[in-house]
Amino acid sequence: MDDPTTFTNRCACGWEITGSEDEVVDATIDHGRRIHNMEATRGQVLAALHDRAVRSDPVSEAAAG
Amino acid sequence: MNPSLGYLRGRLGDYDDRVSRAPAGWDVDSPVQAEVFVVWLDGDRLQLTGPDGPQPWILQLGATEHPVEVVDRIVREVVGPPILVHSTSWRRDRDAVILSFVVVIDGGLVGAMASVPIERAELARSEATVAPRDIAVSAVVEHGLRHLAWLVQDDPVVAADLPAPWRPLLAAYLPEPFRSLG
Repeated sequence: MDDPTTFTNRCACGWEITGSEDEVVDATIDHGRRIHNMEATRGQVLAALHDRAVRSDPVSEAAAG
Repeated sequence: MNPSLGYLRGRLGDYDDRVSRAPAGWDVDSPVQAEVFVVWLDGDRLQLTGPDGPQPWILQLGATEHPVEVVDRIVREVVGPPILVHSTSWRRDRDAVILSFVVVIDGGLVGAMASVPIERAELARSEATVAPRDIAVSAVVEHGLRHLAWLVQDDPVVAADLPAPWRPLLAAYLPEPFRSLG
């Protein structure tokens, strides 16, 4: 059900990107730089993606609870 | 309420169900941020727009960056050359100091960007030595336009750069006692 190769990132402004990890990271860095004057590193975007993925995984939540 | 967070909450229920994983969140997080209100004249109405529609457009401001230069540069790159860039207020919000800017653009730059007409709003009033507790986006825009109305009377650069049709509209933003001046 949950495609482990598909990631989504959503900016607080409403912009959103879904795709492979590389696609999402590249698009997020580009969006941040062009629209919000943000200089994000690949590592920062990956950290946000994977942090959210772990926190929203119901199996992890059940094990933690 | 943070308007962008409100927008986010409003959209969560519409999320595309192809992706069962919740989306990661991404947001500007610098300690000083710019909030840009892009304003244009549509006939006899002022309209609010921006690359993501009329919601406040938030920019990251680095420690050594000049806020006006950043706003001017990003607006130029994303929207086109602005007529006027002016900082009109500041407040604390989003765990940062927010510098609000009114940016005036020509209607020809709006293109596909969504716009909404700007309505009059009550200002967020502070106490003598204490800032207002809650400041609505509409109050920030109202304050920005009142600021612009004063500048067009007082600042020769603003008076020269702002197209003439703006003047009667901005006159309505001047407090009554000052309307006969200038």
